[in-house]
Amino acid sequence: MKSRLRVFPLLTLSAFCVPILLGLFGTWLPAFGYLPAIGAEDFNLHNFRELFVHPAFPGALRASLISGFGATLLALFCSIWITLSIYGSLLWRLLVRLLSPLLAVPHAAFAIGFTFLVAPSGLLVRCISPELTGFAAPPDWQTVKDPYGLSLTLALACKEIPFLLLMCISGLNQLDIRRTDWIGRSLGYSRVRIWTRLVLPRLYPQLRLPVLAVLAYSLSVVDVAIILGPSLPPTLAVLVDRWFNDADVTSRLLGAAGATWLFLLVACSIGLFLAAEKLITTCAAGRLVNGSRTTVLDKVRWLGNTLAVAVMAVSALCFIVLLIWSFARSYRFPDLLPTMYSLQFWTKGLDHATEPLYITFVVGALATCAGIILVIGCLENEVRMQQRGRRANGQQIMWLVYMPLLVPQIAFLFGIQTSAVLLHLEGKWLSMVGIHLVFVLPYIFLTLSNVYRSFDARYMQVAVALSGSPIQSFFRVKLPMLLKPVAFAMATGFAVSVAQYLPTMYIGAGRFMTITTETVSLAGGSDRRVIAVYALCQFLLPLLVYCLALFLPAWLFRQRKAMQN
Amino acid sequence: MKQIKRMSLLGLMLMLLMQTAWAAGEDPEWQNILQKAEGQTVYFNAWGGSDVINDYIRWAGAQVKEKYGVQIKHVKVTDIGDVVGRILAEKSAGRTAGGTVDLVWINGENFRAMKENGLLHAPYTQLLPNYRLVDTENKPTTLMDFTVPVDNLEAPWGMAQLVFMYDSAKVAVPPRDMHELLQFARAHPGRVTYPAPPGFHGTTFIKQALLELTTTPEALAGPVAESDFAAVTAPLWAFLDELHPLMWRNGTTFTTGASEMKQLLNDGEILLSLSFNPNEAGNAIASGELPDTIRTYVHKDGTIGNTHFLAVVFNSSVAEGAMVFINFLMSPEAQARKEDPAVWGDPTILAMNKLSVEQKQLFENFPRGMATLSPGELGKVRLEPHASWVEALEKAWIARYSK
Amino acid sequence: MSLELEKVQVRYRGRTLFEPVTISIPKGEIATVMGPSGCGKSTLLAAIAGNLEHGFRVDGRISLNGRELHDTAMENRQVGILFQDDLLFPHFDVYGNLAFGLPAGLKRDVKEQRIMTALERAGLEDFARRDVATLSGGQKARVSLLRTILAEPEAVLLDEPFSRLDMVLRASFREFVHEQTRQRDIPALLVTHDEQDSCGGRIYELRGEELE
Repeated sequence: MKSRLRVFPLLTLSAFCVPILLGLFGTWLPAFGYLPAIGAEDFNLHNFRELFVHPAFPGALRASLISGFGATLLALFCSIWITLSIYGSLLWRLLVRLLSPLLAVPHAAFAIGFTFLVAPSGLLVRCISPELTGFAAPPDWQTVKDPYGLSLTLALACKEIPFLLLMCISGLNQLDIRRTDWIGRSLGYSRVRIWTRLVLPRLYPQLRLPVLAVLAYSLSVVDVAIILGPSLPPTLAVLVDRWFNDADVTSRLLGAAGATWLFLLVACSIGLFLAAEKLITTCAAGRLVNGSRTTVLDKVRWLGNTLAVAVMAVSALCFIVLLIWSFARSYRFPDLLPTMYSLQFWTKGLDHATEPLYITFVVGALATCAGIILVIGCLENEVRMQQRGRRANGQQIMWLVYMPLLVPQIAFLFGIQTSAVLLHLEGKWLSMVGIHLVFVLPYIFLTLSNVYRSFDARYMQVAVALSGSPIQSFFRVKLPMLLKPVAFAMATGFAVSVAQYLPTMYIGAGRFMTITTETVSLAGGSDRRVIAVYALCQFLLPLLVYCLALFLPAWLFRQRKAMQN
Repeated sequence: MKQIKRMSLLGLMLMLLMQTAWAAGEDPEWQNILQKAEGQTVYFNAWGGSDVINDYIRWAGAQVKEKYGVQIKHVKVTDIGDVVGRILAEKSAGRTAGGTVDLVWINGENFRAMKENGLLHAPYTQLLPNYRLVDTENKPTTLMDFTVPVDNLEAPWGMAQLVFMYDSAKVAVPPRDMHELLQFARAHPGRVTYPAPPGFHGTTFIKQALLELTTTPEALAGPVAESDFAAVTAPLWAFLDELHPLMWRNGTTFTTGASEMKQLLNDGEILLSLSFNPNEAGNAIASGELPDTIRTYVHKDGTIGNTHFLAVVFNSSVAEGAMVFINFLMSPEAQARKEDPAVWGDPTILAMNKLSVEQKQLFENFPRGMATLSPGELGKVRLEPHASWVEALEKAWIARYSK
Repeated sequence: MSLELEKVQVRYRGRTLFEPVTISIPKGEIATVMGPSGCGKSTLLAAIAGNLEHGFRVDGRISLNGRELHDTAMENRQVGILFQDDLLFPHFDVYGNLAFGLPAGLKRDVKEQRIMTALERAGLEDFARRDVATLSGGQKARVSLLRTILAEPEAVLLDEPFSRLDMVLRASFREFVHEQTRQRDIPALLVTHDEQDSCGGRIYELRGEELE
């Protein structure tokens, strides 16, 4: 058992390290001019020079930086402020309940809903037109696809807030907030001061990696940026994606240079973020104990409630506006609701989406199953190692787990694609599941690891003593007892797989049309009603799996009261 | 006796409806292709931005599945140029068989790129029974794709012509040339736009403007390298520099293509839209996507027209299946359905005088809606500039306006 | 004067948690509230401190030195609390933890002097820059109490502060608590289930309401 379990960390590590490293090198080589497949064989810096003088480069870089840093800081600030303001309240409990469905919303579907909401002809303007605004035609406002990427920033922040909130919750669970708050307030400190001085310094280390993941993601996202981002020029990631796919094959070298540059940009941004964090910690160290009990920020604590309501409202409205469009037949500005309804787009759309949904489901299910086996194997190995007195370095493990989330997808997918073409693995089920696994693994690990580690080891001791077989005990005692968190981790992994756009595009060779790639390509210019149906399908698939993950264990153990929580 | 009569009637119907099968009976080479095609799965990479076209492709796929056992998978792409790049990468990587793309919907500069790079299957259209029905005499663009010889490397599928749309409830008189368009934009600031090149709708708009504005239109017929690009295009840039500040979003943002334009037209955000399908407005009105006050118009000196084609990729392992599918798409049955405004409304490439009476009947009596122009109203078709202009124009446009 | 509870009762969803209590603690005295675990002792402390969770309601009167506490925000009640766990802030050293308790606006040298004096009294003068995680249980308990006292509360609540300590430490810490509250001349309320913990003041018994 001992030696066999040790395979799992190795397998897991190679499952995501090998593709990423291979992909990075496969992108760096062409960036420096080496791509023998198209006859480029000498190393030089020509591509970087070309990148820096490209007319679209400065604008693309600016949009990327604005949306990357803007979305991260906004999401971080909002999630902290929301937690600070409403932690423990009824609103908080409502928000916590809504987190899973909010997280299950794929980015693309959210972005589409957001567009339908805030566009000049969107639901928000319709709500007040023409009565309040006098608009008979949509105003010439740049509320989506603006050149600075502000709408992109806002949408990304909205989508990332639930993720950071979830991370806040899991971090807070490890702190004794109620009594910290009690002590702080009995010492006369205001709520904001307690959070900034007592909670945040201890919470932030738990948030550090998630925040960096959000930063890396926001700097390099492609699908959301295609839907909501600026078009002329687009963000750097979208520009790189275009170059990789250009009819002119030499553009791939430029793309590789751009991807490498983006990788460096993300690495530097992460460094900058860490340095800023260090600086703030050092500067604030003295201030933390200066005894000041209140702050002007106490006066804007209510903002957190507003933000929480706003996040929930925006998400709900995104969903509603998609629903409206999907049932619309004639829906012209400034009508608040369609003048004619029709079911035709659902009947047709569902019919057409069957195959993409099927492919999405199978790829997601396979990747999730492979992922859960690897993760449980790793965790079980870790637990047993610990029982023998050997401690794994938690911090190092976390950085490794987060690696696929910190390296921009666009920075290594091209390298994987080139390798896949060489190995004839392009567009195969195996490579498809493999590449999804890279991104599914970290999330499964993150959702499952805490619960798994805190499983009371004595149950296993009793079971092994009774059955004499560790394997049997594992499958008959530990796994069933952990069914609920395992199912939840699987649902999370599945939702992550569903949302993958770039990996499917680069490795699928057009042969794997998932609901996500279909939705994003439709969003590029198609009938809004059809887009709405696809976006809802994309949203409902992971949601259904989430529901299944919640209800199946509850139903299986409906006669066991202790298993209900 | 009765039985014989019935059988002959059935035979006649089969003969009439499926000339394909009948013709195939004579040609052993075609027979061979049909045999090999059975059971193949063909990945058809085609622009997926239009719902009616996607529906049509789905229908055609179901037909060949039933008739010939060929499975069609429509890979919806936003720009076929991406696919050309991928095929080229496959070729560069030495993948000469089992390519991921079997069949592409293509024309113009992408055809030129594929032809030049040897990415096309050996000439094959002469093998297709239905190719004989193509109107190569009166439709020169079926033989010269953006003035590049087709050489039987791609099969004509349909005819396209650039048309414009406006809402008659809001606009009394639409602009009938580029100068009028500029005046129109001045009168309605922020309500005019066009799609961004290198999307093909955007590039076509630029080419149309160039054709109308340049003082040396004859230069466009030859390769771009043979003329003074700056001099030929100077009037175009002057025009665009003047137009952009008057446009939607002050010309800082452009639409991605005709589909987005159509939505903005429906919202009332813009007043004019464009399409490569003369029947687009009719379709959109029928599906509720546009109001029934939308009308189609063309510029008075004619608009760009071309032919769109189907090409088999050099490293496809299912070339036979692709050919069978192409042959079906060129059949009178499929072509007539394509031309039906209620389905797609894309004009046929077939010659009516080469069809039998029954086949001809398929093409008659299509109800033409208020929004669709008659062939006479569509006016003169202008020929595409030489394919090499496309890349040069796109590059120049991006360098000027993508900042 | 000092800490007065008059017929104090806590309700949750209409159900009362314990029989009404009336307690009066003069300055410098440590009164003890006894009761088995689960009878609502901690809830009573939360009611006095003003830290009841959503859904709880307090009946009766609570006053501190004549001030009605009912409508006073928790941070303005000036009621210190000490738990059985030390709850020292792990991201500060001993000095930082104590400084956190001091009022704002003190000059650096005044601050330092107060902290050092407090540490000396507790016999911890060499521990100012120690990481709190390296302290022993008894040391942590003392620092924790010092922090509470340095904030200059008008009353202190003690939630079983001795239960984690062994018998020897318990006695000395009890003495330390007594000394500190007497020095500051403030009332203190101790809740415990162990009669031996009492510090000499009056002893009250808290009776939980029987569950139906």
